[in-house]
Amino acid sequence: MTEAYRQLARSGGCQCGAIRFHATELRDNPHVCYCRMCQKAMGNLFAALVGVRHHHLTWTRGEPAEFMSSDLAARGYCRDCGTPLYYRAIGGEHLSMSIGAFDEPQTIPILYQFGIEGRHPALLHLAAIEEVGTTETNMPDEVGPIRDTNHQHPDRDVDHWP
Amino acid sequence: MSTPVLTGGCQCGAVRYRVQGAVVNAGVCHCRMCQKAGGNFGMAYFGAPELIFTRGTPSAFESSPGVMRGFCAKCGTPLFMRGADGPYDMTVGSLDHPDELPPMKSQIGLESQSRWFRDLANVPAYPTSAAYDGREPGREHSFQHPDHDTTVWPDPS
Repeated sequence: MTEAYRQLARSGGCQCGAIRFHATELRDNPHVCYCRMCQKAMGNLFAALVGVRHHHLTWTRGEPAEFMSSDLAARGYCRDCGTPLYYRAIGGEHLSMSIGAFDEPQTIPILYQFGIEGRHPALLHLAAIEEVGTTETNMPDEVGPIRDTNHQHPDRDVDHWP
Repeated sequence: MSTPVLTGGCQCGAVRYRVQGAVVNAGVCHCRMCQKAGGNFGMAYFGAPELIFTRGTPSAFESSPGVMRGFCAKCGTPLFMRGADGPYDMTVGSLDHPDELPPMKSQIGLESQSRWFRDLANVPAYPTSAAYDGREPGREHSFQHPDHDTTVWPDPS
């Protein structure tokens, strides 16, 4: 039986909304990767990725730009806002999509960690990094204007954008 | 005690930077805007009041009025977030050696914090070599900029 999280049709896209996609099914491999190439591509401590087979994915608005990070792999991103959208092995049967680009990323579990040779030491002691607060408590004067005026695409498909 | 000079850049090497002075406010932001900008669970940043770009110029997207998010137009690497006339908050992963950063002190934007991020330590973990018979895949054919400054890039050889 396929897990429920995989069968839920999902949309997503970049921050600015120039690129949108729709996935009808996920593969069973949602994970984080700490390898140095994923770190640098993401500008982050890791990439969070889940496979989507080519025939389960539709680009519903715009087309990503690609950078060949090696002879073996390409990385897709939005040329207008930079959001990293996927990693794909050349000739592979799926795209490894950025989980954070999905509209409801928290509904996708993380099943394993990969590339642990590159794991930042801070992630072994996450509880030691103080949880200071929410945006609402830390930026009470700014949070309303940001919510009302930001240029980020909403976490749902829309007919017209911007 | 001297601290190492922090350098970094994007994956393809078109944009490179150097941190001149001390870094401040290193930490992780979990807010949904940082998530979506990074395509990820939270973004790790460090403040760099004195910073110079030593190669290339980042592109930027104004994610809300006055707030710019910088990235490389040629490879997409997220590089910074910057408020109006404020210091650069640089992405930790774009550093050449992220483990040389002083300890991260704070997690903010907790309203969007992923429980998967909190629980990472409890998830099974494997090295890259586990999937490739002990080899390091792609390294010999990589187009990623090395983790140090270079005088000429791309490498002409």
